[in-house]
Amino acid sequence: MANTKKVMDYKYTSEKGNVENMPFLKRYPRNTAKTLWVMKPIVKVFQLLGKTTVHRPVCILYPYEKMWVPDNYRGRPGLDFNMCLGCGMCVRMCPTTAIVLVDAPDDDGNIVKRPQINMGRCAFCGYCAEYCPVDAMTVTPEFELAEYTREDLIYGPRRLAYEGTNDMMKVELEETLISDVKNGNPERRIKPFMIDRPELDSSKCISCRKCEKVCPVKAIKMVEHGTNAKGRPILWPEIDDSKCVCCHNCVDDCPKSALHIKEVL
Amino acid sequence: MARDLMDIRAETDELTTDKMWVIMGPQHPFSHGLWTLKVELDGELVTDAEPIVGYLHRGWEKECENRSYAKIVPMADRLCYAASMTYSHLYCMTVEKALGLEVPEKAQYIRVVADEICRISSHLMWLAAVGTDLGNLTVFLWCMREREYWMDLFVRLCGARMTTNYPRIGGVRNDITELFDRDVDRCVQHFEKALWDIIALIDDSSIFLSRMKGTGILTCEQCVNLGITGPAMRGNGVDFDIRRDDPYEAYDKIDFEVPVLNDGDSYSRYMVRVEELFQSCKIITRAMQKIRAIGKNAPYRYKAPTNVPAGTAMCRLEDPRGESLMYLVADGSGKPYRLKVRSPIFTNVSASKPLVVGSRIADVPVIMAMIDMCLGETDR
Repeated sequence: MANTKKVMDYKYTSEKGNVENMPFLKRYPRNTAKTLWVMKPIVKVFQLLGKTTVHRPVCILYPYEKMWVPDNYRGRPGLDFNMCLGCGMCVRMCPTTAIVLVDAPDDDGNIVKRPQINMGRCAFCGYCAEYCPVDAMTVTPEFELAEYTREDLIYGPRRLAYEGTNDMMKVELEETLISDVKNGNPERRIKPFMIDRPELDSSKCISCRKCEKVCPVKAIKMVEHGTNAKGRPILWPEIDDSKCVCCHNCVDDCPKSALHIKEVL
Repeated sequence: MARDLMDIRAETDELTTDKMWVIMGPQHPFSHGLWTLKVELDGELVTDAEPIVGYLHRGWEKECENRSYAKIVPMADRLCYAASMTYSHLYCMTVEKALGLEVPEKAQYIRVVADEICRISSHLMWLAAVGTDLGNLTVFLWCMREREYWMDLFVRLCGARMTTNYPRIGGVRNDITELFDRDVDRCVQHFEKALWDIIALIDDSSIFLSRMKGTGILTCEQCVNLGITGPAMRGNGVDFDIRRDDPYEAYDKIDFEVPVLNDGDSYSRYMVRVEELFQSCKIITRAMQKIRAIGKNAPYRYKAPTNVPAGTAMCRLEDPRGESLMYLVADGSGKPYRLKVRSPIFTNVSASKPLVVGSRIADVPVIMAMIDMCLGETDR
């Protein structure tokens, strides 16, 4: 310690750099040999020995006993097959691209689009559950996912179902709009990204009907707005606000990028 | 002590033996993670050292340029597994600065609480590593036992233990849950008692003291010039903490002490970190009082736009390991143009030559343990 040079003229150099100025550690008796605390280490050892002997074990016998986890624990994602719209919001938000939409037969035998998750890629971030517009995707407390092959890690739409899904597992984001705060009403809204709506730039629209076909909730109707120079009808999409869940599918699939999301802030 | 031996050796210049480069790492018990420390030895004395990092480079910054802003938050968790909360917090703060968005008051306090829990669990992980480096497994086990309580608090708060993914652009993911509100004070009270037992294991052991006191000495001036930050810097007598001197979130409304020691050896760095554990407990208690006073229905998250306007933003905060900084260049689209991370450990480990030169080879693990290596953020 003889080599320590103090450069006190540095701007941030402190003069309080002493154990005496530490509010908690100064309580610990230093210089044990010089004080009356000569016996302290020995007393302390027996104290700790007694304490740890009567303490219940911290470990658990894992495969037989399991740790309790709360319901909002973010384990693997779960899916309610019948509630899902097949909108692909989870696919869009997944940071690791673990989710893809696949064709699956529903209860009536119709082919519908449903998410399939590769658990080997899943990062357990919970974004799919947060951004699901209808709470079909949930987080589940299931975390034991080891399998023998990589193919077994791919969870299809039916396998994703989790028995015992309760309301705590539905991740419901509550956000406050800044405009609401300015109006003096700072209320929390559940999943306010769903009030965003796609907006049409009608000069770019070529009436291709792609948005109508891709909409998972059939919120888009093509409405005729006169005829063009060749005598064909000009069709512009009209969005039904009550049905739209703001899944961005029409915006992504528009070939002329005539649609964009107008955010409500 | 070790430096005096060096002087004697230089003066007498007898017993000339060949110098030898010893390569410690990348798989070595002292290197927590994948990195190499090449040391040149003259007998037992270290005469030169060179750190080699980069084994864990995974192109984090480049990867960010291909993702929307919301998708980077879980990635920022993976920068450092022990300090996941502070890194995602830092990222969100940087984007909020670029957006010109101020976070609701409740979210500020929740972020402070979450950061301090993260700091405690990170410091406990470091203390456990110091225990194993010095060959005392009891310290390791007891620290990990205490750390479990804080991990459980994280589960109650946000549903995940380590990669929490909790801060969001504009606030935090969810409000504090009832379970968290119930358990946090109990956990703090339990920990403030249990930490004294761990301190008794270390401070009453002459083996620990003789290996930590007087090793790895830096002067205050050296420390500033080398760019060392965090508890390693405050153990060298530099009184600087971003939480107090450049306050972010709600730290300016909370009263706490910044521990500083002038000795500048490994022991003082240890003491500063342990005192920080107590101070973090104090901050958590005070911030939780404020959160309860704010009320249950207060907003905790503002809706943020997905696109960030063109421009740059820079933000820094006090990581458990030092000063971490993010620099964002936005081009008006939904993805960042560039995101630069300044990792505290990358700078701290570059100071390993002045730290270890002059000490003995057996002291190198102790000295390097005091900068708390984390390779995830160093190599990015």
